[in-house]
Amino acid sequence: MKTRLPEHGPVETPRFWRTLEERIETPEARQAAHDEFLPGGVPSGINYDDVHGLPPQSGVSRRDFLGLVSAAAALAATVACDRKGQGTVVPYTKRPVEVVPGVANYYASAHQEGRRVYPVLVKTREGRPIHLTGNDEHPGVKGKTSPRTMADVLRLYDPDRLRAPKSEGWVVGWPEAESRLHAALKGAKGAGKPVLLISGAVASPSRKALLAEFKAALPTLEHLAYEPVAGDAAEEAAKASFGQPVYLQPRLAKAKVILSLGADFLNGEDPEALGAWGAQRRLKNAHDPINRLWVLEGPLTLTGTNADQRFPVTPSRLGAAAFALAKELAAKGLPLPAGSDLSALSTGVPQGVDIPAKAWTSLVKDLRAAGRNAVVLCGAQMPAEAHQAAHLLNAMLGSEAVAAVPAEPLATVKDLEAAAQKMASGAYAAAIFWDVNPAYTFPQAAAWKAAVAKVPFRAWIGQVEDETAAQCQVLLPESHWLESWGDFSTPTAAVLQQPAIGTLYETRQGEEVLLDALKALGAAVPEAYHAYLQARWKKELPLGTSFEQALHDGLVKVEAKASSPAFKGASVAAAAKRAAESKAEGLELVLFPGFATHDGRHANNSWLQETPDPISKMTWDNPVALSVQDAKALGVDEGDLVTLSLDGVTLRLPAVIQPGQAKGVLALALGYGRTTGGVAKGVGVDAFPLLGLDPTAPNVRKGVRLAKAGGRKELSRTQSHHRMEGRDLVRSLTMDEFAHNPQGHHHTPELVTLYEEQRFPDHKWGMVIDLAACVGCSACIVACQSENNVPVVGPEQVARGREMHWIRIDRYYEGELENPKVVHQPMLCQHCDNAPCENVCPVNATNHSPEGLNQMAYNRCVGTRYCANNCPYKVRRFNFLEYTAYKTEPETLAYNPEVTVRPRGVMEKCSFCVQRINDVKIRAKGDGRAILDGEITTACMAGCPSDAIVFGDLKDPKSKVSQLVAATRAYRVLEELGVKPAITYLADLKNPALEGGHHEA
Amino acid sequence: MKLDAATSAGDIPEGLIEPSLYVGKVTPGSLDDQVLAFPETKPPRQWYFALAITLTAALIGVISIGYTFYLGIGAWGNTSPVFWAFDIINFVFWVGIGHAGTLISAILFLFRKRWRNAIARFAEAMTIFAVICAVIFPLIHVGRPWLAYWLFPYPNQRALWTNFRSPLLWDVFAVNTYFSVSAMFWYLGLIPDIASMRDRTTSKLRKIIYTVLAMGWRGAATHWQHYEKAYLLLAGLATGLVLSVHSVVSFDFATSVVPGWHMTIFPPYFVAGAIFAGFAMVVMVLVVVRETMQLKNLITMRHLDVMNKVILAMSCIMGYSYMMEGFTAWYSMNEYLHHAFMNIITGTYGWAGWVTISCNILIPQILWFKKARASYFWMILVAVGVTIGMWFERFVIIVISLHQDYLPSAWRIYKPTMVDFGVLLGTFGIFFTLVLLFARVLPVIATTEVKAILPDAQPSHHGDDHHA
Repeated sequence: MKTRLPEHGPVETPRFWRTLEERIETPEARQAAHDEFLPGGVPSGINYDDVHGLPPQSGVSRRDFLGLVSAAAALAATVACDRKGQGTVVPYTKRPVEVVPGVANYYASAHQEGRRVYPVLVKTREGRPIHLTGNDEHPGVKGKTSPRTMADVLRLYDPDRLRAPKSEGWVVGWPEAESRLHAALKGAKGAGKPVLLISGAVASPSRKALLAEFKAALPTLEHLAYEPVAGDAAEEAAKASFGQPVYLQPRLAKAKVILSLGADFLNGEDPEALGAWGAQRRLKNAHDPINRLWVLEGPLTLTGTNADQRFPVTPSRLGAAAFALAKELAAKGLPLPAGSDLSALSTGVPQGVDIPAKAWTSLVKDLRAAGRNAVVLCGAQMPAEAHQAAHLLNAMLGSEAVAAVPAEPLATVKDLEAAAQKMASGAYAAAIFWDVNPAYTFPQAAAWKAAVAKVPFRAWIGQVEDETAAQCQVLLPESHWLESWGDFSTPTAAVLQQPAIGTLYETRQGEEVLLDALKALGAAVPEAYHAYLQARWKKELPLGTSFEQALHDGLVKVEAKASSPAFKGASVAAAAKRAAESKAEGLELVLFPGFATHDGRHANNSWLQETPDPISKMTWDNPVALSVQDAKALGVDEGDLVTLSLDGVTLRLPAVIQPGQAKGVLALALGYGRTTGGVAKGVGVDAFPLLGLDPTAPNVRKGVRLAKAGGRKELSRTQSHHRMEGRDLVRSLTMDEFAHNPQGHHHTPELVTLYEEQRFPDHKWGMVIDLAACVGCSACIVACQSENNVPVVGPEQVARGREMHWIRIDRYYEGELENPKVVHQPMLCQHCDNAPCENVCPVNATNHSPEGLNQMAYNRCVGTRYCANNCPYKVRRFNFLEYTAYKTEPETLAYNPEVTVRPRGVMEKCSFCVQRINDVKIRAKGDGRAILDGEITTACMAGCPSDAIVFGDLKDPKSKVSQLVAATRAYRVLEELGVKPAITYLADLKNPALEGGHHEA
Repeated sequence: MKLDAATSAGDIPEGLIEPSLYVGKVTPGSLDDQVLAFPETKPPRQWYFALAITLTAALIGVISIGYTFYLGIGAWGNTSPVFWAFDIINFVFWVGIGHAGTLISAILFLFRKRWRNAIARFAEAMTIFAVICAVIFPLIHVGRPWLAYWLFPYPNQRALWTNFRSPLLWDVFAVNTYFSVSAMFWYLGLIPDIASMRDRTTSKLRKIIYTVLAMGWRGAATHWQHYEKAYLLLAGLATGLVLSVHSVVSFDFATSVVPGWHMTIFPPYFVAGAIFAGFAMVVMVLVVVRETMQLKNLITMRHLDVMNKVILAMSCIMGYSYMMEGFTAWYSMNEYLHHAFMNIITGTYGWAGWVTISCNILIPQILWFKKARASYFWMILVAVGVTIGMWFERFVIIVISLHQDYLPSAWRIYKPTMVDFGVLLGTFGIFFTLVLLFARVLPVIATTEVKAILPDAQPSHHGDDHHA
């Protein structure tokens, strides 16, 4: 029965009461009784919720509580609905102390590729490494790293990894596999027969010490450190010029004038060089100092595209050109090192070097004027005499912009050939191949195979069974570097490598195999390499530094050693003579390491395979590049299949025409045409058979014959139109224009709109990309791919234009095709305020956030693709096929759990790394503070080695991005459409010595 | 081909009935016998043969669509930047084909053009079938077709709503309205004829079906009165739709920022193009129908002549539109628009541009000649040409504009796949299957309307309201 009590009338003393307060009728109790069934239950002040007109709640009402419980139950039920049946989620029973679910942990570690060491910061989520950036504590790399290093996190999860040792093809346990190795080593030691160990470059002092101990325990050990694409010519030249192997580290921060002789130091491999380059190119004012880059090269390299003055020169004539420069400089008064003899050369521009006299004198003048601030760098693949000429020039200039760091020797192709002969003679009792693949990289694969077969015991240590593994009896699976310990010495810091994850499989790092072998040979060594390393470090650490601290930082800073080996003048005469006599004969083929594959070791990495080559924009293939002139003469069109033949080796492969490539020069990337690996197999052609056996110029081959083979191949290229068609897309200024008229003839259009201006109450995210600093290295693409779970689609889909990269780099040629001006422009979602994509979506799947982000609700997207049609920048990516659902562990472990994996039929695009924005926002809110400028970094920004990308809040007038937006070089692409992009570009800068720069060639 | 002997009924007052809208002696009874008896007869072998072909084509289409559902839009040639290709080309093409029917049945009805009476039924049927073919595409072209219903603004617990700023949503409404009004209009017109068939048939099954479909039509004066009112109202409604549907479809393009799409001329240009393509299709089908179904006396050369004239007029409008496109591109001094227009005549797909111009503008000019308008050869040539030309016009608009827009780095050549052709073939299969079925089961000529222009009908009516 319902009775309504009068609310304000006199209330009788209740006969029944619930509380004492009610019985004695305190006003609070009366109010409480009245409010009992109101939301909130507990009475309090008189503020009313403005939305519902209900009393505010101090705490949770019963109704809300029930609501929350049911919502939570519904959510839990929804979450628990395992739609795809992908296993059970089990919480930690014993949670590791440092792992908080949902919170990333960062560890310092390091990666080695050839002689180069990349100190990195590993982002792990719930114990899984998912993203790599450079270690910002390192004074050299300053938080930057290379595209290949960033992509190497994927190799950790490569399903093709060998998961347990194998012996004669059978999976065995470690003890059995190692006992075979130990027996072979003991046998060799007993018989006094030599044992061959081939490994990669030794950049680690502990590894070096271990190898020395190994050598002491096994005196017949012969160790070769083999890096197939490190540049034998550079090695030979260094030995000639300095009397010892050195590693030439450019110090571009000190360089005002740089002359590159085919040196591709801006290709993304060297974050330190790129950092220095960016710092000298991000100019605020026209009077700020800027460096100048002269490039003489055969193929067009990324460095060449960034040159202020570039001249195509056949590689075989580079030495002559450089020695002629030295002679000219000597004539101008620069002292020649003692014993130098340049009489083999005549004065002036040498024959076969197509540089106008005016440019030549200007170059000499430039170098002379810059003196010790000038530097000459030579490409690793260039002939030895060019290297020696560069060494001479640097010595004459007294260049401070390059450091010759003594390095461990590397085996050249000649050493490998000698080893092969010795193997063939049956001299070796055993051979161990540690992280090397000579069966693939040695030019004469058949001879190598026959030779290896003569070695009674062959062991292989590596990650993915490769061509060499197929020739070995015992296969020992090696841990990925993210599962391993190690250390490296870099010029400015001693770097530590620590595992960021336990071993995924039954793998061990190569050093531990050596430790076990040492033990078997009777040496007293620690059980684990970790202990070995720690013991060594504790001895060598500077006072006041703990190992734990060094591990945390990933490095211990050391004073750069000033002593560098002296240049030997006596080496000049022979080199100059060779350079003078070196002539271009027929077509000259330059074999260079693949941008994605390097020497083939990354060929199984799909991220890298799909990262377009920064120049040709090719993915998943290594076509031979022809110069424009040669293509015309030979009647070769892009995509035509051609045959390349030399010394009985014939390759059949597609051709591309490369503007800017010197006439008579062909260029072909190494590292493709692998025969093993789920991804690598059959991608491109193997060019190693064309590599020469002469260590002074193995990568430059003369007299190559090229003929049309008939047939065509569809090129998996991400860009098929290379001219800007006169459109105002990439602005490029000379320093003169920058000083006088930075906006050129462009005027900012007056944009009229009928609509109200959008308001952004808290933040307005924006980005500035400095085209003067961007070199086009594509590190941003890999960083984004890793951060945002961007799928890989494969060569057929790329050929159809369906690549998924959220950021791409547009590369345009301008001017004459023989030596064009090249510009690069990172292109990603512009997060337009008047986004044309937003209003055409019929289901509101893409819309604008109150912070200026153009956001995608993947769940809501039905895939009409209208948004992509209406995007003037064409940065939206559509999942034409199912690219992700078929993925299983371990591949899925590489995913960033903060970013949704998109299914088929859904549009996606750059989100400005919204997950990173939110992460910082949440942390700032937790700390009760404002977001700091620069605290939010997008993946592309963090990955950009030249700091060309700046992200921040445009609402904050003091933020870096706000200041850059107002810079004189600032402009927005397609601004005239009125779409109001949130990305501002700063015009590219060229600093030509001659009027007109490139065109004046 | 010779013009048929155009002898009209001599006893009709001059000026009241246009000559040659039928040939020979036609009475209400003979008309019923000729038209309504047809569905009662056994279909000839040729009909089965034709149906086998169209069903095969339709089956190929169904398989192609099934494959697309299985694999995803990647089964088609669509790519970046050509995110729309055959899917939307076919959609616009088929929506366009439908326009002739509505124009003939509604607008010409309002204008009291009596030559429409004999052909309206068939043209309307083709409208329905063409729109059926058209609506397939919005459904199958989305990336996740199982969610296509999200394009409808229906109340849901997620409180998600559609975006009414999107022209694609306008499309949903425009096409749905168009389809429902056209279907109602067509069905309404059919009712008296179905009732006649109900009364004539001897088959029990047919009797039941026709009885249901005739909705109790008895031919009473009140029935006719309501019928006339409803028909007039629907004609008025449909008239607006003739203009609105294709205008809205053109908004998909005109309101975008894509150079080559962003044009104010698009709405009228699209409507004219649609009528153009629709008439060509009607001519093509009617020639076959009048020959195979012995309807030469009812669908006369006079009908074809008038329709050819409409085609010619539309062709001239198209020519004007193309020129205006060029003029706009030049006069705007917009480099992107200029590039987009030059692409049509000189680009990679320049051949498609020239196919469009030749088929739509040049070839139809032959219809200036009376002899050509009276010749099967020329009118079929023109009609087939216009059908091809109008398909390519949409190809030009969609693919050529998209494949090279603002940033040259994103430009790319589009290549259709076999699945694309399979779906296109399939819609032709579906369309002609429906046409064949229609020709067998329903009266292809609105007998009630033709009776209105027979001399017998005249004395019972007054003034110039000779209808019904």
